[in-house]
Amino acid sequence: MTKALDDRRFEELLRRCAGRDAAALRELYGLSSAKLLAVLMNILHTRAAAEDALQDVFIRIWQQAGQYEEYKGRAISWMVSIARYRAIDLLRAARPMVVLEAAELAGAEQLQVEGPADRAEFGATRAALQRCLELLAQAQRQCVQLAYQHGMTQEQIALNENQPLGTVKTWIRRGLQSLRTCMES
Amino acid sequence: MNYRNPGMLEELAAAYVVGVLRHRARRRFERLCRDEVLARAARRRWEDQLLPLALALAEVEPSRNCWAPIEKKIAPAAKPSRPPWWQVAAAAAIVGVLLLVGRLTVWKPPQWQAMAVLAPAKAQPLWRVERSADSTRISIQTVGSIALTSDKSYELWILPGGGGNPVSLGVLPRSGQLHRLLSDRQRALLAGAAQLAVSIEPPGGSPTGLPTGPVVIVAPISKPS
Repeated sequence: MTKALDDRRFEELLRRCAGRDAAALRELYGLSSAKLLAVLMNILHTRAAAEDALQDVFIRIWQQAGQYEEYKGRAISWMVSIARYRAIDLLRAARPMVVLEAAELAGAEQLQVEGPADRAEFGATRAALQRCLELLAQAQRQCVQLAYQHGMTQEQIALNENQPLGTVKTWIRRGLQSLRTCMES
Repeated sequence: MNYRNPGMLEELAAAYVVGVLRHRARRRFERLCRDEVLARAARRRWEDQLLPLALALAEVEPSRNCWAPIEKKIAPAAKPSRPPWWQVAAAAAIVGVLLLVGRLTVWKPPQWQAMAVLAPAKAQPLWRVERSADSTRISIQTVGSIALTSDKSYELWILPGGGGNPVSLGVLPRSGQLHRLLSDRQRALLAGAAQLAVSIEPPGGSPTGLPTGPVVIVAPISKPS
């Protein structure tokens, strides 16, 4: 079952973690570990590697909780970012170039950004992202998603899409520029 | 590259958040974020904007045994929730009485034993480390001239005897002497360790709990007499 995202609760728990309250980290783990593990598994592919990384991520959240205050963004965004960057670092350190099988990419073709119901402000961000992604050329959208959700490098995307590296770089750069312009409008 | 150009900063932040910057460029952007508020803001904006893509993934429940290693790792530094004020007051009163009794009767200053001399390779010692005879605290005395800019700190580490990650003994003083009370975990690790190390870290010490900068000193630990 998808757990609700209560931003205020997350923020309070992070503040308690900064004060070295282990019970707060336990609760934070209960509320967010399934979301973070999904992010990690999508990038690292095996449960064993993703769970190792998940442990590392929660230890980082514990150690860095004191820095959350100055982040000035959503707590879940801060935590997802810690998880994604950790996974990307692990992937870059360990994985040779691989080509994902078509089956693994099946989900990537359906670009949906539907998520759990939560506060209106975030619902608006989600709707805007969905709308803006739909405005991108299909190839640009696919590249952005492969990079963000699967942690693939531009070289890996070029291999998967059977396109020259330069073309993929241009698609990603233009895709992100269009996203930014669209999200700001 | 002109990092003050807002367009350039946006492009870099987007590439960083999406994950397509190469390793060295990633590290450069992370350094930039530490120093530049505009870079941090651009990164946060992209993190927020793309977050729905991460939250759209179907949740995956971790295995049951996934939490225990986290709990174990954070346990030494954890403290229970704050007790009510009256418990704090009562404890303070008892400690006060005990201290008074101790001063009047059996208090003795700690006996110090040499533990390590911290010196970079082929250079003069910078600190002398001693431990109390009961191994509950250490004393660090600056004995050399510490040349390090104010945006860096030297941090002292135990290198555990059976391998494993270094464990911090805190930031080293730039001058004078300081005493530090050891946790049970630090005491246990020190008892089995053969070496201390010093690394260069951001001000206030490593933000990760592990050395992040270069290790500049490794020194043997003398066994307690």
